[in-house]
Amino acid sequence: MRNGGENRGRLLLVILIVSSLFLITLDLRGVNVIDGLRSGTHTALSPFQRGGNVLLTPVKNFVNDITHLGRTRNQIEDLRKQNQKLREQLILRKNQDGEIEQLKSILDLAGTARFRIVSAKVIAQGSSLAFTRTITIDAGSGNGIKKNMTVIAGNGLVGVVKEVFANSALVMLATDPAFKVGVRIAGSQQIGILSGLGSSTANLQLLDNQTTIKVGDILLARGSINSQPFVPGVPVGRVTSVSNAAGAVTQSATVRYFANFGALGVVSVVVKAPKADPRDALAPVKPVPTPIPTVTVFVTPTPTPSASSN
Amino acid sequence: MFLRRFGITGTIFALFFIAQEAIINQITFPAGGFSIFLILTLLWAALSTPVVAAAVGFGAGILLDLSPSTSGPLGHWTLILVLMCYAIAFFSYGDENMRGNPLSLILMVTLAQVIVLVSYLVTGFLLGITATSLSQTLTTIIGNAIWTLVVTPIMLPAVAWLHDLAFDSRMRI
Repeated sequence: MRNGGENRGRLLLVILIVSSLFLITLDLRGVNVIDGLRSGTHTALSPFQRGGNVLLTPVKNFVNDITHLGRTRNQIEDLRKQNQKLREQLILRKNQDGEIEQLKSILDLAGTARFRIVSAKVIAQGSSLAFTRTITIDAGSGNGIKKNMTVIAGNGLVGVVKEVFANSALVMLATDPAFKVGVRIAGSQQIGILSGLGSSTANLQLLDNQTTIKVGDILLARGSINSQPFVPGVPVGRVTSVSNAAGAVTQSATVRYFANFGALGVVSVVVKAPKADPRDALAPVKPVPTPIPTVTVFVTPTPTPSASSN
Repeated sequence: MFLRRFGITGTIFALFFIAQEAIINQITFPAGGFSIFLILTLLWAALSTPVVAAAVGFGAGILLDLSPSTSGPLGHWTLILVLMCYAIAFFSYGDENMRGNPLSLILMVTLAQVIVLVSYLVTGFLLGITATSLSQTLTTIIGNAIWTLVVTPIMLPAVAWLHDLAFDSRMRI
């Protein structure tokens, strides 16, 4: 009896194995029924798979996040570093753009005046504890710079070279309280002396008591003998207020410098000035206000029917 | 009696198959994951007689062969599961030390899972199925084994209870 059971079991096993091999053979021979069975199973399972997908999406995301936690952290760290690098590049780029803009305006100015210039980057600001207004530039005697040469920026006069070293130079800014420059008013050619006040404004003292100045007048450097320390014609500033003190011998005025001393990145040292005085050619042109067009509407009254009948 | 057993067993396997396809297969587990359907089949075989185990292996193999995620020919899983289920039942049937000890059952199912996967790879190679890289294959096999070691103890009480329900064997593990 027991042997009979075992035999039946073995027979069943053989039948099942043969059936499996039969199925494999049918599939490998490409019988269509097998493909139909598979596609039928796929069709039957699809709704369950869609439902499972809807239910499991939050769980999958959670498991996925946990699985990739370390990788995500590394990725965030990499992106943070990359972001920092790009920010630094952007700042550098902005700085370079500013320097290019300053250099361009300097070249415009120097080109108009036919100055021969040496451009230099501002590498240090003078210490405020020294009570002087100075800057250090990265060009020195090796670049042809000498003491008492005029230093300009795109907008106008910056200062004068005070000390020269092999690869650098110290420039006294026009804002320094000890700074004095002879100026003339563009147009009227009246002359005076401009003194630094330690800020972005300066004090103008006219030499002739018969002359008058007004707000908005433009001041240009008068020039020195052999163009040192000041080359002629360099724009200096604009009169912002005029003082008419009753007891004063001559008029005085407050002048705002054209150069922006708070944002000096690139400056130029005038190493050779032209023999001819550029006169007022470098004076900045006053902005012309854009006229606002006036709209005029013409209305022609239409005669009413009642008026025409009367 | 036969119809009742067949009906209950078929329903249980169909439900596990759907759960495997609709839920487990959609979760990305580390190191390849696991198959609750395969674990159920091997556990069921370990708790059954060799004849029943072979029949269960045949049915489970057919279902696995019909799975959309299977790349082998129809009958491939069937052949392997018939042989493996019969072998498990043959070794464990009548040995209460084996069946009555959950640890032995877990280890046997894990070992069987590894043998099943290796057999599937070898026969697949003979049948011309393109295999992945060796490292990927090893990762999948080892990962499956580890997952099976983790999941089988969780499934074992439920599968034993369902087996008792189907066969009324009153076996206690």
